Parts: sequence; C-alpha cells; structure tokens
Amino acid sequence: MNTNTMSYKTKQFLMFAGLTTAAFFAVVIVPFIYGLYLTFTSWDGVSKSKPFVGLANYASAFADVDYWQALGRTFIYAVIAVILVNVVAFLLAFLVTSGVKGQNFFRAGFFVPNLIGGIVLGYVWKFVFNRALVALGTSLSIGALSTSWLATTNGAMLCMIIVSVWQYAGYMMLIYVAGFMSVSADVLEAAMIDGCTGVQTIVHISVPLMVSSFVQCLFLTVTRCFMVYDVNLSLTKGEPFGSSVMAAMHVYNQAFTYKNYGTGQAEALILFIVCAVVGVLQVYIGKKAEVSA
Amino acid sequence: MKKRKLIAAALAAAMAVSVTACGGGGGNAEGGSGEKGSGSGVAFTIFNSKSEIQDQFEELAKEYSEAKGVDVEVYMSQDTVAAHMATKYSSNDPYTLAMVDAKDIYSLGPEHGIDLSDQDWVKNTNYAISVDDKVLGFPVCIEARGLMYNAEAIEAVTGTEFKPEDYATTDAFKGLLEQLVAGGMATPTGVMKEDWSLGAHFLCEVYEEQEDVEGFITALHGGSADLANNAKWNSLMDTFDLLKQYNFAASSPVAAEREVLEQQLAEGNIAFMFGGNWDWSLIKDFEPSEKLGMMPVPQNTDDGTNNKLVGGGSKYFFIDSSDATSDEQRQAAKDFLNWLVSDPEGNAFLTEKCALVPAFSNVEATGLDPLSLSVKAYADGGNLVPNYDYMPDDHYAKCGASFQEYLADSIDRAGLAGKIEEYWKATAPVEH
Repeated sequence: MNTNTMSYKTKQFLMFAGLTTAAFFAVVIVPFIYGLYLTFTSWDGVSKSKPFVGLANYASAFADVDYWQALGRTFIYAVIAVILVNVVAFLLAFLVTSGVKGQNFFRAGFFVPNLIGGIVLGYVWKFVFNRALVALGTSLSIGALSTSWLATTNGAMLCMIIVSVWQYAGYMMLIYVAGFMSVSADVLEAAMIDGCTGVQTIVHISVPLMVSSFVQCLFLTVTRCFMVYDVNLSLTKGEPFGSSVMAAMHVYNQAFTYKNYGTGQAEALILFIVCAVVGVLQVYIGKKAEVSA
Repeated sequence: MKKRKLIAAALAAAMAVSVTACGGGGGNAEGGSGEKGSGSGVAFTIFNSKSEIQDQFEELAKEYSEAKGVDVEVYMSQDTVAAHMATKYSSNDPYTLAMVDAKDIYSLGPEHGIDLSDQDWVKNTNYAISVDDKVLGFPVCIEARGLMYNAEAIEAVTGTEFKPEDYATTDAFKGLLEQLVAGGMATPTGVMKEDWSLGAHFLCEVYEEQEDVEGFITALHGGSADLANNAKWNSLMDTFDLLKQYNFAASSPVAAEREVLEQQLAEGNIAFMFGGNWDWSLIKDFEPSEKLGMMPVPQNTDDGTNNKLVGGGSKYFFIDSSDATSDEQRQAAKDFLNWLVSDPEGNAFLTEKCALVPAFSNVEATGLDPLSLSVKAYADGGNLVPNYDYMPDDHYAKCGASFQEYLADSIDRAGLAGKIEEYWKATAPVEH
C-alpha cells in the first residue's frame, strides 16, 4: 500500500485529528473570526443591526486611557507575579525532590491551592486580608496590619500578587519536579565525582537540562497572569477607586457593562496580540536555550 | 491477554450503552415538552433577575403550571441583566417574559418588546414604562433610597421616641448624632463603599433632586453646570460628610464590607445607613429589630426633597416580540401579568411571598418588612422623587470610583466635583 499519496495522508489526518480539528475550528477559529468582524461594527450586544463603522472601535480603543492604564497595570503585575511564582515553585520543587521526609505529602499539599477555583480563592483571601490580618494586627498592634491592605492602591496590587503566587506556585512546582526527575542520576553522579558542590550541580547540571520545564512554566504563568480575571473579580473587584482593574476586567466592563461591544472586542484583540507576542517570543528564546545531555 | 480483550470489550459496550442512553434521554425530553406544547396548554419562559426571590418564583411556576395548565419555566442568571439578555438575543433564544432593569426597557423594549397599552393593569399604576406612547414595561415593584434607621437603638440612647420627621435638616440630624455619641454609641452611622451605592444611589440623588433634571444633565454634558456651587450638591454632601465622619468603618472606609455594616445596623450598634428597601434581604439574616425604617436623607433645604425618598418602579417585565416566541406564548405571558395584578393569589405572591412593595394601586400590602412599609408609606403619600432612568452605563463605575476616593480622603469635595464634571463632559449624552 502506498503511504505517500495525498489521499492516504488526508485520510490518516482525518482519522486521527479530524474530530479535534473540527471541534477546535468550531469553538476557537470561528468565534475568533466572528469576533474580529464585530470589532468593525458598533454593535451594542443586543440589537439586531450591526452597523459597520470601519476602524472607529480601534480608534476609541487607542484613545481609551483607562484601558492602557489597566494594561500597564497588568504588565507590572504579570512581571512581578511571574518571577515570584517561578522562584517559589522552583524552590519548592527542589525541596520536595531533595529527599526530605514526607515529600509526597508536601507535593500534594503545595498543589492543593491550584485545585480551588479562582473565584473561591479570591473570597477566601479577601476574608484573610480584610478580617484575619486586621484582627491580628489590631490585637498585636502591628501598624502595617491594622488596616486592610485591600483598601489602598498598592496594597490591592500586592494582595493580587500574593494570591497569584499562592495559587500557581504549586502547579508550576509539579512541572519543575518533573524537570528535576528527568535529570538522570548518572549525570549527577558524574558531577559529584568531578567535585561539584550542591549549588554547582543545580546551576550547571540540573538547570540547563530542565530548560524545557522553565519554558513551559513561564509560558503558562505569563499567559495566565495577563488574562487574570477570576481572582481580580472576587478579591478586589477593581477597587479601591478602580485602581486594580486588570486588562481582562476592563475589556469585560467595556463590552458588557458599558455596552460598547465593538470597542471591548477591539481591546480584547489588542490584549490577545500582546499576550501572543510575549508568549511566542518567550517560547522561542527558551527553546534556543534547551540542551540535552 | 484474553482478560484484557474482555475488559476492552466490556468498556466499549458500556460506552455505547451510555451514548445511546444520552441520545434516548434527549429524545424523551424533547418529546415531553412537545406534547405539552401541542396538548393541554402552551409553554413559556420567565427570566427572573431578582435573585432573592428565585425560590419563590420556582415554587410559583409549579403551582401556576398545575392550576392554569400552562408550562412555566423560570430562569435566573448571576450575570448582569443586560449582558445576559445580550447572550440570549444573540443566540436567538429569548425569554417569553423577561424581568429587566428600567434602562434595559429603554434599550431593548422598542426593538424586542410588545405594546401592552391595552392591558387592564395599565390604569392601576403610575410606574409602567412607555416609549413612543407604547407601554413596554410592567413594573414589578417599588423600591426607594433613603436613610435606613434603627429606631430601637436610637431610643435606647435618647430615651425618647424617635420621629424621623424631626430630623429633616442636616443641623437637626447632626445634633442627634452628637447626642448618640455622647450617649455611648461611638459610631452611629455606616457608609457602604460599593460603587453602585455611592455612584448610582447617593450621587444620583444630586441629579434627581434638581428642579430641572434634564436641564441639569444637559448642562453637565455641556460643561456649563457648576457642581461645586450647586445648592443640592452641597446640601447632600454636607450630610454625606456627617455620615462619613461618624462612620463605623472610618479607619478603613473603602475596605468596609456590606454584610458587616448591615449586621451592625440590624443589631443596633449603628443607627443610620444610606441604602434602600432591598437591603432587607441582607438585614433579615441578622435577627433585626422590628423598629427599622427608612427616612429621607436630611438636608438643609426648603425645596421639600428632604421630606421625600427617591425611587419608583424597579424591575420591569417585557414580553418578547421576536419570531422565536409564538402568539400563544405571548398571550400566556399577558395572562400571567394580569394574574399577578388582579388575582388575589397573584397579589399574595408579590406582597407576601416575595415581600415586594406593589406598584399597583389596587394591590394591598400590609405584611411587608419594616423598610418596605416605610417605602410604601412614602409612595402612597406621593412622596417619592422619581428615578432618573437615562444614566450613561459607565456612570456608576467611574463616578463611583471617584466617590470612593472622596470617602478615603484622597480627594476633597471640590476635587470630587471636578472629577464628576470631567466625566460628564467626556461622555456622550444618552439618547432618549
């Protein structure tokens, strides 16, 4: 049987990937194109008519100061959160692969926060920041804790970052754990025989061999942080004074609350492009750094 | 090997069975509703956007379906009303009867609603919404804003009977607050920090209590209104300053949680909070005193607005006009609305089961909660300043955020007035 013909290849493709491709097309590609079309209309979300307005939505998106502020805020939040999540996750992964007692228990424990949905997580932490910490601060008269952090502009951002780190560190830890495990024991043994110290082994042997873990973790955290919405909604709701509204929340408000569907859609597209560029760039650079033993 | 094959076969069989089961189930369900549609009566859907009465509505749907032989289904969504309606209309799956906010009637009604002018209930209400001489919105209830008070807590300190009408002016109100503080109630007021409370409820009173509301809004858009020197702005903000000064959460006002404040009011640790009769849905959970009530926001003014609550119809039903809804369904929905207003059982559902203040003059309501009783008393006496229904959609969020800054002392009163003026200048007027 000739396996090199076009029809054979098509059949093979349809057999193995046909269903998923169709599903992907239906729920991702088609809505994406339709969304793109909506950015050229002044649709309010309900009306039957969708008047064509050309690039007006993009003009108003670029003129929307609040949007760019939200995007800038998201950028700062994402940079800090991504660094902290990965540092914490890496350290945790190192700890739970170094052979401490009960490391499987710790692995499971650190992963649990990731199993709680973002909305619930937000409410739980809201209670912690608004009540528990304040009660603690007042009774021990610690000035910094006696008022809620969520009430100040920088405090609200800090809270967002703390919760994100708490939420994602466990998940990323699992990927780093897999990375640590994938470094074969003979390479490590060879390094030890050559006289590497513990730190040297990690920096020069383990880390270069687990670059793919870093690439995955960074990609996941970068995209998740840029798209953050659930924690934002339940933890701060954009308050105080709208100073913690992240890009995704602004897009939602613009489209559905302020009923500027086209503008919101255009802003969502800009957010998508920013995310895509950052994500792809980061994967591209990361892939280049991968080595194998 | 044989065992594995056996297991694989068993699994495959199980999956096949479950797939056919799903298919069969779906078919049955469709058949079921089809039968009802063609048989005894019609089926229609209701969208309820008051989450606190969803249980009552579901119960009602069951009873109504059995009694009238129509199949009623009630739905609710946690989404904002406008966003949810947008989804339903873009998927061409509208509700027969949808409960929405006043502004949604103006935006959806002309295109998606039917004219209800010929209905019997129209003559019994002042609160229906008409657009271009067509009655489109059926008022579900009356809601009003003002100062909630806990008379029991006040009387415990002052020792004399609390009469709200004695405190219509800011000066008298200030005297009472000072007396309460002196008597041991350290923080007699509460201030909700929610942007809708500050931006949509309190700030809007500044517009709604102007002599010429439309003219004032137009002047704000045009940039010619001088908010900082406006008498109404200043008289209301003077009172707000008092509420803020004696606020229970004054140490961290923008972290105040609504539930906590409502509890403080219910238990009488604070005596006053700006709000509306919908707050009862939270307050009732905290074993409140029966001597709660609502009074107008005190003001040093002689225009009479300090003797009135602000409010009117709240939540409106409209009936879908699209091809997705049949004439029989529309008729069933009309019958349902008439039943609510003219049938004793319908009345009882509104006023007793859901504890709503009726918007219809022929509907009696004596068993309401204390806040709603106050609202009803003001409404019956013609003492409601009407809502202004043409607010821009982002007003409450943006001006509410500025108002929060004022509450947190990041800006002063002139700064807040400036921000609000800027907002209006930058915003396109709402067509109506």
